[in-house]
Amino acid sequence: MKIFHKKDGGIVQLIDKEKMKEWPIELPLIFIEYIRNNQLNSYNDSKLKKEIEQYLDEVLKDVAIPGLIKVLDGDNFEETNKALVRIDELAKKKIELVKPIKPYVEKLVKKENKEIRKHSNSILESFTKADRRKRLAEKRKIMQEREKEFLAGKISGEEYANARKEYLILKE
Amino acid sequence: MKATKELFQEFLKKGIEDEKKQIKLPEHTVKIDELDRELTLDRINNLTDSLIEMIFETGRPAIRLPSRTSANIIWDEKNDLLLLGRQIMEKQFHSLASVADITRLMKVLEKINELLLKDLHATKREIFYSAVQLFGDQKNSDKCIEDVATMLYTTRNSTHIVASAKGSCIGRLRIRDKNDIIDLEGLGSGGWTISPMLDNIEIIESDAEFILVLEKDAAMIRLAEARFWRKYPCIILTAKGAADIATRMFLKRISKELKLPVFSLVDSDPYGHYIHSVYLRGSKRLSYESPFLATPDIKLLGVLTRDLEKYKIPNDCRIPMNQTDIKRTKELLNEGFVKKNKEWETDLKLALKLKVKAEIQALSAFGFEFLTDQYIPEKLSTGDWI
Repeated sequence: MKIFHKKDGGIVQLIDKEKMKEWPIELPLIFIEYIRNNQLNSYNDSKLKKEIEQYLDEVLKDVAIPGLIKVLDGDNFEETNKALVRIDELAKKKIELVKPIKPYVEKLVKKENKEIRKHSNSILESFTKADRRKRLAEKRKIMQEREKEFLAGKISGEEYANARKEYLILKE
Repeated sequence: MKATKELFQEFLKKGIEDEKKQIKLPEHTVKIDELDRELTLDRINNLTDSLIEMIFETGRPAIRLPSRTSANIIWDEKNDLLLLGRQIMEKQFHSLASVADITRLMKVLEKINELLLKDLHATKREIFYSAVQLFGDQKNSDKCIEDVATMLYTTRNSTHIVASAKGSCIGRLRIRDKNDIIDLEGLGSGGWTISPMLDNIEIIESDAEFILVLEKDAAMIRLAEARFWRKYPCIILTAKGAADIATRMFLKRISKELKLPVFSLVDSDPYGHYIHSVYLRGSKRLSYESPFLATPDIKLLGVLTRDLEKYKIPNDCRIPMNQTDIKRTKELLNEGFVKKNKEWETDLKLALKLKVKAEIQALSAFGFEFLTDQYIPEKLSTGDWI
């Protein structure tokens, strides 16, 4: 176990990254997400949090991404396909986790194998949807600001209508 | 928590040092390995190969395995473990006396091979039902299961034959069970049922500083309701009575990997003290597995006989010892590991003198919260343990 020391004399122990190399390939990503979302804030120690964040980045860089790339870049269609199914599930839940492997998935869309193409396209579709959601949120924010400005009489009705139009076009 | 904190720091330091050196067992004892699926299959193949060779060469095959009789059980004082000596017994295929035994043994071996090949686990009961007529009674199949494990020089868990789930665990621990992450703080007041398939379990995170083993489920409910681990960073577990293999193995695993001190809270009676001793140094029946099941550093936090006076437990909450209790206490006093621990010996002698026993629940005489708010915290902070 990797030991992190707290200011109050306590400790936090996390599984060693070497052990994670034997895990199913998508699991290190789930682990990172789990610790970040569920545990990190409970430690109540900013220095400790920073150290653990660094360790999680190391896990991502040294274990999670290389594991996925190795399989996606390999010639074993069965393994690649299995990995893509798992990545597809993850992408639907949390797209940020699989962002580093997007270029490898893009390459796989050109493969002859039907299943591989299907799952790669599904993953890329999740990226497109996530990107659209992000842009929509930005436009919504702009539109809401314009709305306030319009109601306060700071901008013209035309300017507000333009912002609303941009948002609605993207939404449709 | 001062005394517990000091012990925690000591264990952490010792644990890091111990990680570098492996436990050294005495020369005259049998060494057992915890194996993964492939290595266990290798051992089965080697064994069957040697049997085939014997059939071809002599026509009189036999199996040699370490004897599990009490005469071959040794107490290793240095490591405080019960171990199996080097006495070997031979089971011959061609003898009428052992033909039923050897057929059962081979059936169990065949079933283990099947489980390992399919990566499945089965309970002892399922093994019995796989050939009811051959085994006749579950006692026979259970004995064969233990024989096969010793024959392969491995733990029973490595053979994928497991006991039914019994114990439960709660507190500051996160584990992985195959592809699932389980948070032992977030499973309600029942906690996590300790899986007998421990080869699928891996510790992934913990910020606990000690482990508390409870004899009784009732005490577990009390601590779970108080969310005891939130105020006192710990992992709590119980086998709900006698310590089963999965609970002992899980305790051994978490205490070793997390390098944490372990305390037990049992009834103040010979049975409670016996349960503590099984966690401490293993049981005689499974002595060959002791290095994987025993937690030699476990401390007896309570309930001690001296606590009955110290905490002024009312007389109507104390139970007079019967003849069996007195006999069992005397037997415990004769054990080498008790004689070695003077404080423990003194407490058992005091129990014999007062001829009283008490359950953990006797502490409720002072209110339901007494256990969680005063008794355990006070003992942990003053270092009042054996």
